[in-house]
Amino acid sequence: MSKSLLVISRQAPWSGPSAREALDIVLAGGAFDLPIGLLFLDDGVFQLAPSQDAKAVQQKDLSANLQALSLFGIDDVFACSQSMAERGLTSPASAQTLSGEQISQMIDRYDQVITL
Amino acid sequence: MSTLHVVSHSPFTDGRLNSCLRLCGAHDAILLCGEGAYALQTASAPCQALQAKGLKVFVLAEDSQARNLPVPAWAQSVDYPAFVQLSIDYDKVNTWL
Amino acid sequence: MKFAIALFSPAHAPSSRRALLFAQAALAGGHEIVRLFFYQDGVYSASNNIVAPQDEQDIASQWRAFVREHQLDGVVCIAAALRRGVLNAEEATRYQRSAVNLEAPWALSGLGQLHDAVQAADRLICFGGP
Repeated sequence: MSKSLLVISRQAPWSGPSAREALDIVLAGGAFDLPIGLLFLDDGVFQLAPSQDAKAVQQKDLSANLQALSLFGIDDVFACSQSMAERGLTSPASAQTLSGEQISQMIDRYDQVITL
Repeated sequence: MSTLHVVSHSPFTDGRLNSCLRLCGAHDAILLCGEGAYALQTASAPCQALQAKGLKVFVLAEDSQARNLPVPAWAQSVDYPAFVQLSIDYDKVNTWL
Repeated sequence: MKFAIALFSPAHAPSSRRALLFAQAALAGGHEIVRLFFYQDGVYSASNNIVAPQDEQDIASQWRAFVREHQLDGVVCIAAALRRGVLNAEEATRYQRSAVNLEAPWALSGLGQLHDAVQAADRLICFGGP
């Protein structure tokens, strides 16, 4: 049975390549049919903010990558409710919001974790 | 399941230790290394928060030594062989990159 | 135990040295390193063009020596490397760039190698940041 991997993405979408490079790990895992989860935490929840305009800063729009997640069989996509509340964001359609306690229990269920 | 959380960023300039403490489970432990060792700065808010959390706290010996930071009674200084052993004793390692 | 070690920081970052010392301790303790995978700024730790100041540790050189001595599988993520201008001869030719700064013992490959290492190892340890 395959080991499961949780990727915790903590960076805002255009703070550097980190947001994209975290998604790349997740999509690569999905391409190999591995059990991968993705959690948006801290500034990572800004990747889920609505109506962003990547073109205004000549950056790559990651929303296509995010939409590809389910196509790659990645359905376990989560966002930290406290991170969202601190940043004035409301529940995203594309991720299940979790409390700190739920996140703690979820981390326990995965075999490995990468927090970037 | 238990996780060894590794924090190498200073808690005075960065939110990783805070987020880590918020999400740690009861059986988890924290290894401070690099700039993360500054969390042991006596009577500082991060030091108090770490002690209050009540989890096992380890610090990489070379980092507390380099920075002349005291290792309180509730924390344990480790060398590299002990760091390797910790990574085995705990079910997984979560480095806050 | 089998370890997969992933590095996310350049040679001058303290975490690159820390990863190397951890890796050395793992082997000295009788454990196995399934793969070293360099990602994000970790690709810079594999550059063969680093000239460390004479009075500082040359971590890139020490990584090379370590991988060679123990015949480890040292993989550098190709996408992360290209973005950061770390190219082997093949990629430098492909993209018509003037310099080659990645050579053996390092190999360029994809994220599949990271996932493969995670599956094969008992423990994944990541190093990065300060």
